[in-house]
Amino acid sequence: MVNDQAQMYTLEGFAAGVLMLITAYLVLGTTTVYTPGDVHIADMQLEQLGSDALAMMDTPNTEPDIYGNEESALKTFIEDDKGDDFRDFFLNNITRKTGSTSTVVNDIQFNASVYYRKLTPAANESEIGSYHFSSSTDDTRSSLVSREPAVRVTRFVTIDGSPLNHPEPEVDSRTQVVLLEVLLWRG
Amino acid sequence: MERLNDEGQWIVLMGFMVCVGIFFLAIVITQSTVVGQTTSEAVLEFPKTEIQDLRSELISLGKRWDTKCDPPSEEISNKDEIRDDIVKLALYRKNAVVYFDINENSGIGDAFNDYTRIILHYNNGVTEYDETFLLSRPN
Repeated sequence: MVNDQAQMYTLEGFAAGVLMLITAYLVLGTTTVYTPGDVHIADMQLEQLGSDALAMMDTPNTEPDIYGNEESALKTFIEDDKGDDFRDFFLNNITRKTGSTSTVVNDIQFNASVYYRKLTPAANESEIGSYHFSSSTDDTRSSLVSREPAVRVTRFVTIDGSPLNHPEPEVDSRTQVVLLEVLLWRG
Repeated sequence: MERLNDEGQWIVLMGFMVCVGIFFLAIVITQSTVVGQTTSEAVLEFPKTEIQDLRSELISLGKRWDTKCDPPSEEISNKDEIRDDIVKLALYRKNAVVYFDINENSGIGDAFNDYTRIILHYNNGVTEYDETFLLSRPN
C-alpha cells in the first residue's frame, strides 16, 4: 500500500506545478506589438493638419445675414485655376506657427488633383475624370519622391461652372461638386 | 508540514493568496496591451476628417438650396446632379457609400427658427456612420 505520509508536500508540489503552468501560459500569451517608430501617429497629425487647412480655405471670410453668397478662397482657386495661389496659401497655412509665419524648415510636400464627374462621359471613358491642380514645387511631376508615406486629404468643393483652363468638354460647365484631393508627405 | 511542526499555517495560506493576487495582476497586464492596441486602431480607423468634410459640404449646400430665407439665396436646379456628384466621387475616390438628404420642409421649428433637416449616411466598409442634424433659419 501507498504510504499516506507527506500528503501536504504532495499538495504543495501540485499547487506549485499549477502556478508554473499558468505563468508559462500568461507569458506565452502576451501580445507583442511591433510599432515601427509610431509612424501612424505622425501620419494622423499630418492628415489632420492638411484637412484643417483645407477646411479653413473652404470657409468664406464673412457670412452676411447668416446666409450669403460669399465665396471661399478654395472655390475661387479652383474656378480660376490658380494652382500657384493655392500652393502659397496652403503652404503658408500648414507651416504657420503661433505668433509668426516664418518657419525654419518646410519639409512638407504636396500634390493636389481635382476629381470631377461628367454627366455624359465619352464611350469607354470613366464617369470620373481628374486633372492636376497644384503641387509644392513648380515642376508638377518630378518632385513626387518621398521618404515617408504620404497621406491623403480631401475636400468637396462646390463650383459654379468649369474651371478656367479646363472648359467643356473636359469639365461640365454646370454648377457641380468636385473633389479636391491632396497628397501630403514630409520629404 | 506533514509530520513537521503544524504552526504557521496562516502564513502559508497568506503566501498562497498573495500568489493568486499577483496572477490576477499579471492577467491585467497581459490584456492591457491588447486593449490599448485595439482602441488606438479604432480611433485611427474612424474617418473623422472625411465625415467632417461631408458634413460641411452638406451644410453649405443646405444654405444654397434654402428657398425661404430673406434675402432668398440662389436656388440650384440641378440638385440631383449634385447629389450624384457627391455620391459617385465618394464611391470612386474614397470607397465609401454615401447617402444624404436635405429637407427644408422638415416641419421642425420653434419660436425663432425653422430647421432644415439634413441626414447623412456614411459607410466605408469598416465604419458605418449615421447622422441627423438641423440647420437653423430665422423664421
